[in-house]
Amino acid sequence: MIEIRGLSKSFVGQDGATVDALRGVDLDVGDNEFVTVLGPSGCGKTTLLKAIAGLAPWNEGDIVIDGAPVRGPGSDRAVVFQNFALLPWATVLDNVAFGLKMRGVARAEREERARSLIAMVGLSGFEAKRPGELSGGMQQRVGIARALAVQPRVLLMDEPFGAVDEQTRRLLQEELLSIWEEHRLTVVFITHSMEEAVLLGDRVVLMSARPGRIAEIVPVSQKRPRSPDVGAAERAEITGYLWNRLREMHQERR
Amino acid sequence: MRRLPAGLISLAAGAVAWELIGCVADVPFFPPLTTVLVRLAAMVAGGQIVASLADSLVNLVIGFVISLALGLVTGVAMGRYRKVEAALGIYVYALLTAPSLVFAPIFFSLLGEGRGSIIAVVVMYAVFVIVINTASATQGVPAHLVEMARSYGASEAQVLLRVMLPAAAPMIMAGVRLGVGRAVTGMINGEMFIAVVGLGRIVTQAGGRFDGASVLAVLVVIIVVALGAVALVQAVDRRITRWVPQTSRGDQ
Repeated sequence: MIEIRGLSKSFVGQDGATVDALRGVDLDVGDNEFVTVLGPSGCGKTTLLKAIAGLAPWNEGDIVIDGAPVRGPGSDRAVVFQNFALLPWATVLDNVAFGLKMRGVARAEREERARSLIAMVGLSGFEAKRPGELSGGMQQRVGIARALAVQPRVLLMDEPFGAVDEQTRRLLQEELLSIWEEHRLTVVFITHSMEEAVLLGDRVVLMSARPGRIAEIVPVSQKRPRSPDVGAAERAEITGYLWNRLREMHQERR
Repeated sequence: MRRLPAGLISLAAGAVAWELIGCVADVPFFPPLTTVLVRLAAMVAGGQIVASLADSLVNLVIGFVISLALGLVTGVAMGRYRKVEAALGIYVYALLTAPSLVFAPIFFSLLGEGRGSIIAVVVMYAVFVIVINTASATQGVPAHLVEMARSYGASEAQVLLRVMLPAAAPMIMAGVRLGVGRAVTGMINGEMFIAVVGLGRIVTQAGGRFDGASVLAVLVVIIVVALGAVALVQAVDRRITRWVPQTSRGDQ
C-alpha cells in the first residue's frame, strides 16, 4: 500500500520564479491496485512518480510504502521509463538482468530469471541482440522485463508507451494487462492518453497544472480482464468525462 | 585489374615527391628518400636503431599508461563532480594549451638526467587531452541512464563503472587516440631535449653533426612507431565501441 500525504515540491525556474510542481498531493494506492495518473503537461505527474521511486526529493509531505517511509530507491519498487533507458552497449539479456546484477544476484541465477522474463514479454531468440537492433516496442518490452525481473511489489511506469506508434501501443497495453492479471502487483502508471488511462486503471487520478495537484479521482468500474477490443463504449463515457475536465483546465490556462 | 588501396597510392605519391624535391633541392638537411633509406638500413645494421627504439618504446609505454590512468580518473571525476571540475578545470585547460616542452627543463632539474624526466614529458604531452575528452564524455552521459541505474539501487561506484564509463567510452577513446599521438611527440621531444637515451638522442646527435640523412632516417622510424601506436589504439577502440551504430561513428 502506498500512502502519499501532503506532498509538495517547488523549484525555481529559469526565469527565477518559483514553480509549484506539486502542492498538497494526497493519494492512497491499494495493494495490487492499478492506478493511472492523467493530466496536462506540466501537472507534475512525472515528478510525482519520481518522488515515489525515490529518485527525486520533495519539500514537504510523506510517502510511505507498506509502512516504510520512502528515503530513496528501494528493492520494493521498479521503474519503467518513457525513453526505455536501456544500456545501448549491453545485450537484451544483460539489460534485463541489470537490476538483479545491481542487487548482487549471482550470474547463473540472474540469467535464468532474465531468460524467463524475456520469454514472458515475447522476446525469446533476441537475448543476444542489442537495443539498437530492436524496434521501440521491443525495447520497451525489454524495459518491462527488466523491471519485473527484480520482483517489485510496486511497478512505476512513466508514460511507458508514449514513444511507440499507435499499433504497438495497443499490443503493449494488451500484454501489460495480461501480465498484470497473472502477476498482480501494484502499478502507478503515468500517461497523457485518456483512453489508455481508462483502459488500464482501476482508478484514474486526474491532475491539474500550476500548481500540480489532484483535481479528481475517477473510478473505472469496468470488470476485468479487460481488452482494448471489448467494452469500448462503456469506457468512452468515462473518457468523454475526462476530456471535458481536461478541456476546462486547458481553457483556464490559456 | 584490382583497385589499389587509396592509402598505398598516397604513400607512393609522397615517396616520389620526397625523392624529387630532395634531388632538385640538393640541401644537406633534406636528402632524397633513397639516401635516407640507405642510411636507415646502415643504422639498423649497426645496431643503433634497435637498442634506441627499445628505449624509446619503454618511455612511450610507461608514459602513456600513466597518462591513461591519470587521465581517466581525473576526467571521470571532473565530469561527474562539479566541485572537482571547478578546482582542476583551470589547471587542465592552462596546461593543455601551454607548450608542453617548456616543462622539460623543469623535469630535468627536478628528476635529473634520466628516464623519469622523459616519461614526465610524455605525460605532460598526453594526459590533458585525455582528461578533457573524458570529462566532457562523462558529462554527456544521458541523465536517464544514471537515473535508471539509481532506481535499481546502483551504488555510486556501480553507476561510474557500469553506466558512465561504458556510455562515455566512444568519446573517451577519441581523446585516447589524440593522446597516443601526443605521447609519441612528447617521447621524441623529451628525448631530444634530455639526450641520454632513445631515438630522440640520435636525432639530437645527428642534428649536431648536420647529418640530415640520419635525422630523417630516425624520423621514418618515429612515424612508423606513431602509426603503430595509433593503429593499436584504434583496434582497442573498435572492440570497446562495437555497440555504437555504424552511422553515428565519427571515424567512418
